[in-house]
Amino acid sequence: MDDELLELQRQFEFAQQAKSSIRLSERNVVELVQKLQQLQIIDFELLHTVSGKEYITLDQLRNEMVSEVKKLGRVSLIDLADATGVDLFYVEKQAQSVVTEHRELMLTQGEIMSESYWDSIAEEVNERLQECSQVALTELAAQLNVGLDLVASVLEPRLGTIVKGRLEGGQLYTPAYVARVGAMVRGAARGITVPTNLTAVFAVAQKEFVDSFFSQNSFITYEALHKLGIPQPIQFLQSRYPEGKPLVTTFVHPSMIEMLDASTEDALDRGSWSDSLSLLPSSFTPQDASKMLSLCQSVQNALKCHKAHIFGDFYVMSSSFIKDICDRIVKELETLGVSGSAGITMPGDFQVPNEAKVGHDSSRLNESNEIMASDGGANRHADKGSKKKKGKSAGNAVANLSESGADNQEQTSTKSKKSQKRGKDTSSQMSVTKTGSRKESVKMKEDNLSPSEEWIMQKITTLVSDFEEQGIDDPETILRPLANQLRPTIISSWMEKRKALLTNNAERMKRLLDNLQKKLDESFLNMQLYEKALELFEDDQSTFVVLHRHLLRTVAAPMVDILLRNLDEHNKLKNGLEVQETSNSESVCLSPGDRTAICKSFPGSLASRALAVVEALEGKSVEIFMAAFRMVTEESGLPLKNLDKKLERTLLHSYRKELTSQVSAETDPVSLLAKVVSLLYIQVYHKALQAPGRAISAAISHLKDKLDESAYKILTDYQTATVTLLALIAASPSDEEDCASDRILSKRELLEGQMLHLKSLVLSSSQS
Amino acid sequence: MEGWDPNTKSTLTQIPLLTRKAGPRDGAAWTQRLKEEYKSLIAYTQMNKSNDNDWFRISAANPQGTRWTGKCWYVYNLLKYEFDLQFDIPVTYPSTAPELELPQLDGKTQKMYRGGKICLTVHFKPLWAKNCPRFGIAHALCLGLAPWLAAEVPILVDSGMIKHKDDTATTSTES
Repeated sequence: MDDELLELQRQFEFAQQAKSSIRLSERNVVELVQKLQQLQIIDFELLHTVSGKEYITLDQLRNEMVSEVKKLGRVSLIDLADATGVDLFYVEKQAQSVVTEHRELMLTQGEIMSESYWDSIAEEVNERLQECSQVALTELAAQLNVGLDLVASVLEPRLGTIVKGRLEGGQLYTPAYVARVGAMVRGAARGITVPTNLTAVFAVAQKEFVDSFFSQNSFITYEALHKLGIPQPIQFLQSRYPEGKPLVTTFVHPSMIEMLDASTEDALDRGSWSDSLSLLPSSFTPQDASKMLSLCQSVQNALKCHKAHIFGDFYVMSSSFIKDICDRIVKELETLGVSGSAGITMPGDFQVPNEAKVGHDSSRLNESNEIMASDGGANRHADKGSKKKKGKSAGNAVANLSESGADNQEQTSTKSKKSQKRGKDTSSQMSVTKTGSRKESVKMKEDNLSPSEEWIMQKITTLVSDFEEQGIDDPETILRPLANQLRPTIISSWMEKRKALLTNNAERMKRLLDNLQKKLDESFLNMQLYEKALELFEDDQSTFVVLHRHLLRTVAAPMVDILLRNLDEHNKLKNGLEVQETSNSESVCLSPGDRTAICKSFPGSLASRALAVVEALEGKSVEIFMAAFRMVTEESGLPLKNLDKKLERTLLHSYRKELTSQVSAETDPVSLLAKVVSLLYIQVYHKALQAPGRAISAAISHLKDKLDESAYKILTDYQTATVTLLALIAASPSDEEDCASDRILSKRELLEGQMLHLKSLVLSSSQS
Repeated sequence: MEGWDPNTKSTLTQIPLLTRKAGPRDGAAWTQRLKEEYKSLIAYTQMNKSNDNDWFRISAANPQGTRWTGKCWYVYNLLKYEFDLQFDIPVTYPSTAPELELPQLDGKTQKMYRGGKICLTVHFKPLWAKNCPRFGIAHALCLGLAPWLAAEVPILVDSGMIKHKDDTATTSTES
């Protein structure tokens, strides 16, 4: 047996002998206590805490309650239950016995209070009483959250000791207070028996009131003095307060003026505005405010060097503020003018004067024009001048020579003399009766009052939201004068912009019209030339209609498109719009809908006339179209040349030459036929015929008498072969290689063989 | 480790494990094993004492340490019931667990083999086998005898099979 093992044996023995530490579980303890109670060893009531972890004897509970009450003076039973950790039920039960046991404690409404607590309360009450001379018990009761009776019963024994005062009718009074009241009563009683000088008393009262009010508020209204029976308030006040300033309804101390001066100066420095009236007491009238402003040193200085403006008596605005508004409105006008979007609608006020003008109220027009003449005449001149120089015939200029030459006057005269030439009339009409809101606004600004006060006022309110936010009752008082002040600046700067734009556009308008004239001259002469050829077919009604339509579709339509496009652009330029240089647009064909839309955008009668052209274009008479077209061009100031004999000959000659070269160069058998027929017509009838495919046979038959038999036969054969070929091509199902395509091929070959004969037919005769 | 209550489990895990695998016939190796057994028993005993859960006294009855005798007790209804405890270390130890005997209770309960050897739960054997050779005498007591006493003594007392040593003198009326 080795030592280590023995040692371990010993250790084990020792470990087993060691006293085991005694541990009682909670359960054991509970059992023990139960056992003790069973064995009557614990023969008193034992409580346990709410947590269930502790036992507590009733005595201990009572002790704890008492010590808690003594510590805090006043404890509610609920708080006690929390503090002791015992159920409220036992606390309530024990509270009664605690209170009976300890005479210095009292239980009221679930609260235990000690005498010492009441002593301290009484001291507090006393302090307060000495301060205020009198304290109501109800107030104390409410403050302490106890009943009135309790307070009374507690305070009564302490009166004269802790609380130095008297309790009477639910109020505590200090002896000093009582003595004071006694003295007052004595005084009053004495006063009753002795006569008093009432006037002196009243005068003193007046003086005191005025003094106190004026010193407190730094102002006093005359009305208040009147009420006090002071007949001449200003003199009264000035004599009493030589430093004060009399206003319209109020007398103010200089400090008030300084205050207004300072705040207004501040607003001016910030580049803002201030509403003086709102800075002053409500009894101040606008006149008072105005008067006060006139007394403000810095405001007067600012006014002198034009740093500030006063509107509506009491609104002071800094120049920079006004300038800012002005700039923003001008900017707005610019965007309005430049973009010219139809969405901008002017306020209703705009419409009214405009309509009045449309109604040819010449006197009014005169008036407005005179205003304009003085206002922005130069600009107006540029605008109207550029337009009229083109549109007017010389006769008008003569008629207006007697006038000073200013275009606005010229316009007026036109209005009144309705009998004048129509072209002139319509052009002036155009300038007035433009439709579209933008147009109206522009006209408005040009011809009449330009941006109206109302409009500017509206803009100001939207730009400067302050005005509304600050709840100014009547925006008119400030906005209208402000608008009045701003208008000339806005108008002149806006006019400048417009002028610049218009002079820029004038150049382009001139160029545009020149180009248009050239293009139209050429097309219109051609049109007239082709029109002549139609006469040949007057006896053949169906062919006649077909030919008319063909001419309208092929030759007239592009011509109308060019006219409409250019007039549209011109129209826009004239209205001061930025127009993109469109050079290639003329190649694009307009649809009837596009044409109508453009026409409707034209001003006044031009629109209806242009619409007539578009309508005629869809009709079947070239003559009607020509008449309508002429109307439009004349109205637009584009007189068109008529086709005279000489011109006709040169045109025909060049047309024939061109056709001849085309025919000799032509390789397509189908299109050759139409050209040969046209050429034959020139040779035979000296007319330029534009015939569609389906009119070719009728055209050929018209040639029968004029050609020799063989030539006519070649022509008819060729024509029949062409028709067959075209029918075959139209009928061929697809590109499959069947007999149909073979037949087309052979027909084409046959035609190609015939081409030479056909060509020789016209080429030889042309040479002969 | 299922089949035992949480207390038993936590106690078991705190008993130091053994390392040497040796039986009574392995000579010096057995001595070494015996030392480990003592160390483990000392730790277990100290643990029980500090937890106020002392419940047995044993000591080796022969110098080889193959036979052990002592006492074990259980407190039920505030009464302490004490029994003799004895067991031999089998030759195949530690593969085979020692068979704990309570000779006084022989024939008094069904959970017992002839001669007073206690019947262990079905969970004991596999757990022992799994933990061979790490489990020793202390583990056997903790895992075998302690739960057995806790389960059987109340039944034996309630059925009147065993009586407290005080009761034999004074016929008490307490419940």
